[in-house]
Formats: sequence, C-alpha cells, structure tokens
Amino acid sequence: MSAGLGSAIAVEARKAAASRVMASVTALLVLGVGALSLGMLLAAASGDEQVLAKLGPLADDGGWGGLIGVVLQITAAGGLLAFGVALSWLFGREFADGTVAALFALPVSRPAIAMAKLVVYLAWAIGVALVLTGVVAVLGYAMGYGVTDAAGVVGLLRIPVLVVLTALIAVPAAWASTLGRGLLPGIAATVGIIVVAQVFAIADAGAWIPIVAPALWAIAPQSVPAAALLTVPSVPIVFGGLCALAWARLQLDR
Amino acid sequence: MTEPAGAPRLEARGLVREFRGGAGVHGIDLDVLPGEVHALVGLNGAGKTTLLRLLLGMLRADHGEVRIDGVDVRSAGPGTWRRVGHVVEHPLAYAELTGRGNLAIAARLHGERRDDLDAAVDRVIDEFDLARYANVRASRLSLGNRQRLGLAAALLHEPSFVVLDEPTNALDPAGVILLRESLVRRAAAGAGILVSSHHLDEVARIAHRITVINDGRVIGGLDPAGVDLERAFFAQVHADAAGRVA
Repeated sequence: MSAGLGSAIAVEARKAAASRVMASVTALLVLGVGALSLGMLLAAASGDEQVLAKLGPLADDGGWGGLIGVVLQITAAGGLLAFGVALSWLFGREFADGTVAALFALPVSRPAIAMAKLVVYLAWAIGVALVLTGVVAVLGYAMGYGVTDAAGVVGLLRIPVLVVLTALIAVPAAWASTLGRGLLPGIAATVGIIVVAQVFAIADAGAWIPIVAPALWAIAPQSVPAAALLTVPSVPIVFGGLCALAWARLQLDR
Repeated sequence: MTEPAGAPRLEARGLVREFRGGAGVHGIDLDVLPGEVHALVGLNGAGKTTLLRLLLGMLRADHGEVRIDGVDVRSAGPGTWRRVGHVVEHPLAYAELTGRGNLAIAARLHGERRDDLDAAVDRVIDEFDLARYANVRASRLSLGNRQRLGLAAALLHEPSFVVLDEPTNALDPAGVILLRESLVRRAAAGAGILVSSHHLDEVARIAHRITVINDGRVIGGLDPAGVDLERAFFAQVHADAAGRVA
C-alpha cells in the first residue's frame, strides 16, 4: 500500500474536522433534507396541487413510506450535489490554496494522501447517513407515524443505504478536481452525474448503470434489483484508482 | 563558520525542462554540500522556481538527473524524503488549522514518530517565536506570520537537505533574523541548504556560495565576501543578456 497511509489519514481527518466547509455541507445536507421533506409533506397535506403532482404516488403513501420516499428523492439529487461539493473541496482546495506544493517531497506519498482523502470522505458520509436517518426518525415520530404506521419504520433503513450509495457515485468529482486543478471541475462533474442519474431515473431506465442505480432505487425501488446496487462500488473503485494515479503522476506544470 | 565538505546532499546534472515559448531550465548543474548554504540568485522569471521544482520532483525533467544524498529522486522513497524540508512558493499552512495544528500535521507528513511529535512542535514554536500564534487559525495570520509558520513546518523534523524558495518574502526583520539563525545552526550541524532569491537579501548574504541564474542557465557566481554584490550581480545579468542578443 502507499507509503504513510496511516499518517495521511490522520492528517486529512484533522483538516476535515477543523473545516468550516465540511461542517457547513453537513448541516446543509442534514437540516436541508429534513426541512425540505417536512415542508413538502405539510404542503401535500394542505392539498397544494403542485407539490402533490411532484410527489406523485408518494403523496398517497402517507406514514413512514411517504416521508422516507420524499427524503430519498431529495437526497438522490441534493445529497449528490452536497457530496460532490465536499469532494471537490477536499481535493480541489489543495490546488486553489496552493498547498499542493507542500505535499511533494514527503515520506508520505501523494497517492496515500489522495486515498486518505477518500477514506475520510467515506467515513464522513457514513456519519452523515446515520445522522440524517436519526433526524428523519425523529421527524416521523414527531408526526405520529410511530402510532399510525408502526410497521413502516423499517423503511428507515433505506436512508443510510441510499446516502452511502449516493456518496460513492460522487467520487468522479475528486478525479475531475485533480485533473482540473481546482474546485469548479469537480462541481461541474457532479452536476453532470446528477443530470445523467435524474434523467435516466425519471425515464425508469438504467438500473444497471452504477451512477443511475441509486437515484432510480430512490424513485422506483422495484425497478432496481439488489445485484444492480452492488455494481455501485465500482464507481469509487475505478475513480479512486484514477485519483491515486493522477496524484502519483502529478506535476506543478500549470 | 565551518567549511562545507563531504558527499553532496544534492547533485543535479544537465537538468533540462522547457516549456512552450522557450521558458524553463536549459541545462543546469548544481551541488549542495553538507554544511553549505548555497544561494541561487536571479531576476524574476530566471528559472529559479522551475529549478527548485525539478530538484524536489514537483516537475519531471526532460533531460538530466537529480540525486539527494546519492539517491535518484525518480526512485526516492520515504527514507530519502524524510530528510528533506522545503518551502516552494506556498507554505504548508492550512487556513482552518491553528498554528500548532499546522505544525502537528507537518510533523506527521514528515515522518515524525507520534511519541516525538509534541516535542518537535514545541521546539520549533520556540525557535520561530510562534507561541502567540499557536492557537490562532492560520486564516487569521498575516502573510508574514503564515510564511514564518510554513518555514517552521518545513524545518521542524531537522532535515539534512533544505530547499527554500524566496523564504524572506513577507517576513518582518525579526522573522528574517530568526530564519537566518536557524539556517546557520542547521548548516553547522551538517545540513545542506539551498535558498533562492530575486535579490541579495539577508539570507543570500549568509551563503557560502552564490550562484547566479538567468534565462534558465547558470551564468556565474558571486563571492559572498565580496563588496558591492549588487553591482557584480547586475553586471553578470546584463553581460549574459547582451551576449544572447549578439
């Protein structure tokens, strides 16, 4: 394995923990998804036709199924953007701030630093998944679903699965930020993934395309076999490898 | 001052890296000996930073080779890089971390053992008079104090080969004196130190050897003990420019 991975993980974890960007993205994602979901459900309950049209069959579900369905749909698009921004910052900031020069000529190799960024990102995404699930659970119990739809609570388990799958398909943003030497290429790559995933998902197609499967599973879980979800880790494996290669071959020639 | 001697800390031979438009480094040989402060002096755009990047593997050479303590940088491993400290252009100073936090991650990245980390950080905070800024985020530091922090981060693991690109930029006079004393002490302990500057600043004046670079080539040297170094420097640069025009 790359030299100094343990040290690199400790360093990247310390940087991420102190970062206001990561704290802001976490708050926006968790509170934003929670508030949007609550708002849409309240608007649907009041009979707002536009919101009812957007929710489609979810509006009729009610209970945990309705709440979780709305959360999943918002997370599949909004969460992907948040994860892409986080990755773009983790990688692109080294170029934007000029600190990348200090990451050369060290006993800790640059591929180890790139891998450490991805490890810290994944750990953070798992934390976000757990916190968001907790927030939605609190929301659901506050709305009385614990009494009216006690059996539906198991649907909460879909939330951490979707959040982590969504985080995995954002990894190409890290590669784009490295190749483009900044934050914007990563964010542009994220927007591209969102567009492809949402267009396919709305068309109810692309279950076996790894970057589409999570969004499709959020909208129409019956369209996506479990085996198709297992292809999703191929995205971080391929693009994580490309990141490590790009960091190994990096030159300050621009 | 102890005279530099022994196998070179750095050997560069026939280094070439050319960019579109003709800029770059066009065949440079360079040595830095143990115990030596070697200053590179040249005008802006002379090729100093490109040369330093080539020495540290930040750029790959079109031709030529670089050895640090006898090891080719293309195949150098952690054992070699652990002995190197550098600041080239931007210091290692992350805005979100405090002064101490930045020094702690620098120690980890330079291979300091976890047991020795706090002692190394305390030592360099003391050496560079950074106690006031130890618990202040780097984003709130002045440019000069961020540079001082970056220099401390590059030197806290007591490297035996040091590369500093225009290290006195933004430093106040007190910072320049601290840096000068730090480099003199490290050279006396056997480190080889390469410092670039676009003018004959305080650090260039403590050098054992001054090499003049112009248009990506070594065009001569200056005697650090000589008088009126500026006049001698500009005479060399102008003669080189005139020679190429002719």
